[in-house]
Amino acid sequence: MRLAGIALGLAATASVLVCDVAAQERTFTVWWYEPPESAMGIAWKAALEEFEKRHPDVKVQFEFKTFDQIVRSGNMILNSDEVPDVLEYNKGNGVAGLAASQGLMAPLDEVAKEKGWDKILDDAATQFGRYDERGIYGSGPLVGIAVYGEFVSVFYNKEMFEKAGVELPTTLAEFEEAMDVFVKQGITPIALAANDFPAQHLMYLFALSQVGPEWVKDFQGLRKPLDEAPFVYAGRKLQEWVDKGYISADSVALKADDMLGLFKAGKSPMLVSGTWYSTALSKLDFPVNKFLFPGNRISPASTGNIWIVPAHAKEKDLAYEFIDITLGKENQTLLGNSGGLPIAADPATITDPVAKLDATLFNQLVAQDGLGYYEDWPVPGFYDLMLKSTQAVINKSITPEEFAQRIKDAYDEALDSL
Amino acid sequence: MTTATAAAVTRSARALDPRLSGARYTRGPGRWIVLALLLALLAVFFFPFVLAIANAIKTPADYASHGPLGVPHSFSLRALADFWTNVDFTRKLTNSILLSGLVAIFGVFLSLLNAYAIGIGKVRGGRPILVLLLLSIMIPQEALVYPIYFMSKAAGLFDSLASCIIVFSVLQSAFGTYLLASVLSTFPREIIEAARVDGANSWQILWLVIVPILRPTLAVLATFFFIWTWNEFLLPLVLLISNDTQTVTVAMGVLHGQYVSDPTAIAAAALLGMMPTVLFFLVFQRTLTRGVIVGAVK
Amino acid sequence: MAATYAPRKEPSGGVSLAFLYLFPGLAGFAIIVLLPALMNAGLSLFAWKGLGVPRFIGSENYLKLLADDAFWASMQHTAAFILAMAVIPTVLGLMLAAVLFDYVSTRFGQAWASFFRAGFYLPQILPISAAGVLWGWILSPIGALNAILKSMGLDNLALNWLGDADLALAAVMGVMVWLQLGYALVVFMAGLARADPSLYEAAEIDGASWLQRLWWITVPLLRPEIFVVGLTTTIAALKVFGPVFVLTTGGPDDATIVPSYFAYYHFFQTFRVGYGAAITTVQMIMTIVLGTLFLRVQSQRESDSA
Repeated sequence: MRLAGIALGLAATASVLVCDVAAQERTFTVWWYEPPESAMGIAWKAALEEFEKRHPDVKVQFEFKTFDQIVRSGNMILNSDEVPDVLEYNKGNGVAGLAASQGLMAPLDEVAKEKGWDKILDDAATQFGRYDERGIYGSGPLVGIAVYGEFVSVFYNKEMFEKAGVELPTTLAEFEEAMDVFVKQGITPIALAANDFPAQHLMYLFALSQVGPEWVKDFQGLRKPLDEAPFVYAGRKLQEWVDKGYISADSVALKADDMLGLFKAGKSPMLVSGTWYSTALSKLDFPVNKFLFPGNRISPASTGNIWIVPAHAKEKDLAYEFIDITLGKENQTLLGNSGGLPIAADPATITDPVAKLDATLFNQLVAQDGLGYYEDWPVPGFYDLMLKSTQAVINKSITPEEFAQRIKDAYDEALDSL
Repeated sequence: MTTATAAAVTRSARALDPRLSGARYTRGPGRWIVLALLLALLAVFFFPFVLAIANAIKTPADYASHGPLGVPHSFSLRALADFWTNVDFTRKLTNSILLSGLVAIFGVFLSLLNAYAIGIGKVRGGRPILVLLLLSIMIPQEALVYPIYFMSKAAGLFDSLASCIIVFSVLQSAFGTYLLASVLSTFPREIIEAARVDGANSWQILWLVIVPILRPTLAVLATFFFIWTWNEFLLPLVLLISNDTQTVTVAMGVLHGQYVSDPTAIAAAALLGMMPTVLFFLVFQRTLTRGVIVGAVK
Repeated sequence: MAATYAPRKEPSGGVSLAFLYLFPGLAGFAIIVLLPALMNAGLSLFAWKGLGVPRFIGSENYLKLLADDAFWASMQHTAAFILAMAVIPTVLGLMLAAVLFDYVSTRFGQAWASFFRAGFYLPQILPISAAGVLWGWILSPIGALNAILKSMGLDNLALNWLGDADLALAAVMGVMVWLQLGYALVVFMAGLARADPSLYEAAEIDGASWLQRLWWITVPLLRPEIFVVGLTTTIAALKVFGPVFVLTTGGPDDATIVPSYFAYYHFFQTFRVGYGAAITTVQMIMTIVLGTLFLRVQSQRESDSA
């Protein structure tokens, strides 16, 4: 029987594959989604090499994921036995909080004390690594370790700015005037992606321009029913900007990579996004720089994504050691000199100009109490809600009032069910 | 393409051949218009494939200067090679082949056993059982996906090909049982009786008498299970989460911009994702089209 | 189900022994299909996050479902998908099959007809995710289609195919027609093998137009095939998932959401497992009712013609 022969062959191959996994050798699995060309991608790759040097007997398995994959199926993966030993995870009540409240992450308090992380990281740096039993950030066991900082600002193409004779704007009005110059030349000033995270960040920037730090704390901490007025404003501004041609409604179908492509191709002189793109955007054919969103005291910013160790991880000790390497002085300095925003590096050792500018702007935000965190953190499912609603308001299929009401409804419902 | 013709169609074609049935058909210029229209429609159908091929072999610079429609001015397998290594396409192909191949074999095996009991064994309640099995086809996989996800975790089979192999072998066997049972219900009893008189037991009858005769049908069935399983998306998406266990189909579905930041890379990804089934189609074209007919009309 | 079954008078070969052959298949069916389907229906009466103890809430999930706009949107879109996956491919496939059968093959030869059949069938066998990557790139606002339209000076036609709420559904429907046409075509051409060519010749000599021959000869002849194609493609449309997942993830703003994606979203993203189970239970009941209805009608017709 030929069929039987094939069956045997396939079965044999299958058993080889299974044995591969079940081999005696220890395996250490790590996932992250920072792009390889980002500072984090560079530093963590080095950390992994260091790890391999220390443990020649351990088989290291690294998988590169996307933000989208983790935000969409992260909790489903954590809720199984087939978990990596350590992975980069999204902060906030909605994602990390939900997983933590279900006991899917290993508590790290003891390890932190033992390895001295508690001395490197202050309370502000760990507040989004702690979640209580309701999944709200700020208190409860430590489950996540952030090793870098990040903030959202405006990246711009210096050549295009100079050619158009545009000065760097410091207020929203100046910003809009500058964009008018580009619009007159038939250029869409800001590359945007609304089928991904960037449009949400722009929307949140508008909302944050209307509020003070107290509103942010209420919003992030689910302290009281949502004051949705800032979101009405945000929806209005988005629609106004589409009308004025500052952003394109085409963005509704675009992903973050499409946005980068438009910027890299010189189709748009600006994009509004986070420092995770700093390194990659500093290596283009044209010079790129950045400024904080004009007129805003508060911007989306926080400590970076966190390392977590899944509760079901098999090699927890190896995971702790890997985190320890990424928090070490050497790796932190590399992170900074690759253009990142280290959390525990000696500023004197950082020479990279991109990292220096990022550090200056970040410190400025901290000084003016301007860390706004992120719009999708407060409630599980908010990422998708924000994504859809922002798309809809850009497409004008809903009014700014309806837009804000949707957010309020979901927010208040989550508050009620706490 | 003539070899692709199913036997039945060939028969009618012979009857229809103008030389045999008399050249009474209009041979005016009108027929060329019809042919041109059909070719135009087919061109629209093939347009996406042409776009994928033309752009997968361009350099990004060529794409930027001449656009997607431009005839390639450059030839570069870089995009294809990059995508292949970045997503470890060899591994995905192996996974897909293993999954589809084993499901084809186990699925046919299960179908055969079921159909043997119902079609030849005439077990009591054969018809209701058949209708019950058809639920596997009718119930949307969405209604099974969460419990299966949960059960596979409980059984320690989550994120392994084994879970998908088991699930799809069972799901596919419903159609196979249906098809084979109706074929076997008209199987000549004399042959079986003769074998029985010669002292064969029911197991021997199945393998030594029935299987050899059914072989063409079983081959069609296996081909079909293979391609159906290859194209399955939802359950593998949920059950296979790590890069090492993913199939080609799942890997394509979760790209979300990963490794495909420029148009030539997307074209390369699409081309590689489609290539295995297109090759399979070219090889098994005849079996596949015949299989559709068998499946649909029975 | 046109299968014929020999009358079951006496079990030859022994009942008990024959049952042994059914055991693996039935056990598999019980574990992989029956048990999960029942579990799922049961879960729809609970509030459950996937962990911990489910809380019984009775019909609450269903009541919420009835008030959920996204659910009703998904139902409307299902109707659109039935149009794109069942109705249009059946009608187009019928016409195409007829052209190939009584026009192309008679005037150009069978080889041409086979060539066209194979060509139109090809999209059917592609993995939907790969086809989705391709179409996603073509239909992107900065994608191939718009680049082509702009290069021809048709800037006004370069629309945001997948991003505009009014266009996205139509765009996905177009892809589905592309995907499904070949299936209908192949089945219909096979059915035409039963056709009596002399009937067509006679009709043509009598001056019957091509359309008249299609309506009066081909359609009645292909009734069983039309029925089967209608049934299978409608069921496929009721549970469509892959194309939506790959092309639009239900967006923009639920403009292309379908029950399967809606359920997937709640199962695995918001962790409202009971709610997802309620959605899929409704979907399951609809499919089974529709399938049974179809089969009823067919067996009625069979017994009528018998």
